[in-house]
Amino acid sequence: MPMEALLSVLTGGLVLGSLYALMATGLAVVWTTLGIFNFAHGAFIAVGAYVAWQISSADAIGAGFVIGLVGAVVVLFVIGVIAHFLLVQPFERKPNLVLLSVVTTLAGATIFENLLIVGWGARPKQIAPMLEGDLHLGEVSISQNEAIIIVLVLFILALVGFFLRRSRTGRAMRAVAQNREAAQLMGLDVPKLFGMAFGLSAALAGLAGVFIGSIRFINPSMGADPLLKALIVVIFGGVARFTSPIYAAFIAGMVEAFAIYYVGLYWAPAVLFALMIVVLVIKPEGLFGKHERSV
Amino acid sequence: MRYDPPFHKTNGLVPIIVVAIGLILFPFVFTDTFSRHLLVLVFVYAMVAVSWDLTLGFGGLVNFAHVAMFACGIYAYAILAKTLGVSPWLAIPAAGVVAMILAVAITLPILRLDGIYVILVTLAFSQLLYQVVISQSDLTGGTVGMVTLPSLKLFGYKFIKDGKIGYYFTGLLLLAASVTVIYWVIRSRIGRAIVALRDHKYYAQSRGVSEARTRIYAMAISAFISGVAGGFYGSYVRVASPDAFGIGFLTIVLSILLVGGVGSLWGPVIAAFVITLLAESLANLGPWREILIAILIILIMVFYPGGLWAAVQELREIVDVRRSALTAWFNRRRYKGRRQELLNVEEKYIETDHGTIAVADSGGDKPVLLCLHGNSSSKEVFQYQFESYRDRFRVIAYDLPGHGVSTNADPETSYNVAAYADAAEQILEQLEASEPIVIGWSLGGYVGLELAARANVKVRGLVITGTSPLNIVPDDFGAGYNADSHMILAGKHFLSPTETKNFVTSAVAPLTEESAYLHKAMPRTDGRARLYMITKINVTDWPRQARMLREGKIPFAIMNGPEDPFLNHQYIADWPYGNIWTGKPNDIPGGLHTPFFNKPKEFNAEFDRFLKEACGF
Repeated sequence: MPMEALLSVLTGGLVLGSLYALMATGLAVVWTTLGIFNFAHGAFIAVGAYVAWQISSADAIGAGFVIGLVGAVVVLFVIGVIAHFLLVQPFERKPNLVLLSVVTTLAGATIFENLLIVGWGARPKQIAPMLEGDLHLGEVSISQNEAIIIVLVLFILALVGFFLRRSRTGRAMRAVAQNREAAQLMGLDVPKLFGMAFGLSAALAGLAGVFIGSIRFINPSMGADPLLKALIVVIFGGVARFTSPIYAAFIAGMVEAFAIYYVGLYWAPAVLFALMIVVLVIKPEGLFGKHERSV
Repeated sequence: MRYDPPFHKTNGLVPIIVVAIGLILFPFVFTDTFSRHLLVLVFVYAMVAVSWDLTLGFGGLVNFAHVAMFACGIYAYAILAKTLGVSPWLAIPAAGVVAMILAVAITLPILRLDGIYVILVTLAFSQLLYQVVISQSDLTGGTVGMVTLPSLKLFGYKFIKDGKIGYYFTGLLLLAASVTVIYWVIRSRIGRAIVALRDHKYYAQSRGVSEARTRIYAMAISAFISGVAGGFYGSYVRVASPDAFGIGFLTIVLSILLVGGVGSLWGPVIAAFVITLLAESLANLGPWREILIAILIILIMVFYPGGLWAAVQELREIVDVRRSALTAWFNRRRYKGRRQELLNVEEKYIETDHGTIAVADSGGDKPVLLCLHGNSSSKEVFQYQFESYRDRFRVIAYDLPGHGVSTNADPETSYNVAAYADAAEQILEQLEASEPIVIGWSLGGYVGLELAARANVKVRGLVITGTSPLNIVPDDFGAGYNADSHMILAGKHFLSPTETKNFVTSAVAPLTEESAYLHKAMPRTDGRARLYMITKINVTDWPRQARMLREGKIPFAIMNGPEDPFLNHQYIADWPYGNIWTGKPNDIPGGLHTPFFNKPKEFNAEFDRFLKEACGF
């Protein structure tokens, strides 16, 4: 493998990894706090991209990328809170919550996707990237947009990590995740914290949507593939710690980048999938997992 | 405990025959192609949904690769029949086999997993299959798919001709076969293992059920049916498109399953009709159709999680309650003479908190003998006691609430042993009858024990027959009775005619002229009385009854038939009674579950002895 190719594969892996980290962290936040898997996460990604497009694109409001990004985060947080209230809250005390929430979040995903088709049509669009042009670091050449995405993602994840570990609300969320009953006895407002966790997760999905939309095209069903990848990452890494899905995301990103180089675009998901199966068979709680769930 | 009568002896027989005749006649009534096309789609969706239910509903294994198995069936058919030129009639079952092999391949990684991990892996696997299909464009046509697949024909007759009538009947036949297979599987050993693992995994495993093997069987069987459905669908629409892997198709099938009711066989079949026709009628709404269906799914999940099957059951309950009430009303008039002939007393109707109770009271200022009948029977079972004891005693018997010609009552409050005892107290009070000697039979035995234990009424003597005293419920319930199919019938809500006949035959007597009236009593009984007797079993204070028996202040005797098929005689003999007449349970020679009816002379002789020795008459 020539040096140039290796470096471009590595940077490609880094970009993929950072996007996966963003999406997987969002999924993991909901999974660890509410104990459910949110299948509307992919739809949130698409909605985030469309909101950002609507705000930032010159064809629509044209307020610029940064406002679009912030708008997407705010709107998605609200959508996440509402989605939690409508799709998950009613079943919180049911014994088969896992299956019920899979079904309702899938239904929610269908609703969001089709609303996007109703609102914006099925034709692909593109969000104008933050920065044009390439960045040259010695041998490596990476588009400035991708570089800033990597940096932003790491910054945002650090922020989320800080929020969960240091802030009062974040710690309350983790307390609820660890022991709901005890947290409730301590006077924490569990439904509100659940709603906030869902909103936070949706906001992260929205961010991921904006970043993906600035690299690739956006369309109403753009979330399906990222959702699948995020799902693989979460299973692969486990959710024992806040950082486990992040490490796993970068590993998965690298594996995928190398797989694309060696076996081609179509077989790369198969390689990732095989990796996930192997991990599951050997260590069902994930690569970095302990046998329990907590943020 | 195992109870699985052949299908033709269950209540399902008549509805199935009606529906089958309706579906067979349908294409001759509606000769347009479109209505037949819709029903072919219904058949395919129903096959996929019903087979999915085997893993998702009955197995509790949330297998999201099921629809991918259907898609793989389509592609297997396409490749076999078009590319390789295999006969479509071979390609369809082969599609099932391909799906089955793939399903086994998915099952291997999920053998150790549970809950959400199963969902994730199966979903990822189906996405993987999708990726493989669109990447192998030489073989599968990539994202475009394959078109002009061979269609079905037999001896030169094309099934598409005559308004698709050939496809209609092939689809109907395949659906019938699938439902039969699933029905057979869930009642087989494998099916019971599947359900046992869902309900209590560790207990099932400790009883020797292999989780891995059972999962593989369940996945393989359900995938085979799904694959066959895919093959048939491929031959019908003649297109293999990667859209079949998509979330849209999954949502439709999942909504069929959920709207129908997860874990029921017929619910998804019914829902396949409802959802397919609904989806078709909304077809011109574009994306709004998907949105409306998704909203419908959420609303059903929130407000009606049992689905259509639960609705059917509720409807059935309403109809059955009306039917039993009407039968009671009718019997009250029609068979009044017959009842008087049997008991030779005037029937009275007494208003209680548990409805209007029909009472037979031989009257007079004599000691009171209260007779309490059992589950799904009526007071006429005591005809020989009325005959023998009316001279010396004031014999009183009444129909329990929901039984005989008493009215139906509120199941929540009136269909349990404590409520029956309460009804007895109210009746005795209104009749101004006090200090009864009580004969309690079966369920009535518990009523008698409860009446004595409550001590609101002074019971001068108590005889129970066909009843095992209980202390710790439900453990003692399992120990006190032989665990056979009759125990299930005793608590079963809806009984088929065969079940009714079997139950009365072993609980009372075979159908003869003398027992004919008692055979009428069971179909009249409010089915909820049986159901609530079991579900509300903890309303009764069983330890209090046990305490009362151990204290032994009331003269007490047990008179059972040694041939009683229900009782565990050893359990009854070993029970630590404080004061039981003759020191042990008494056998009525040759008696069955109803010794006072089967062997009235022997029973009455023994009862006379009890009256004399224990109660001083």
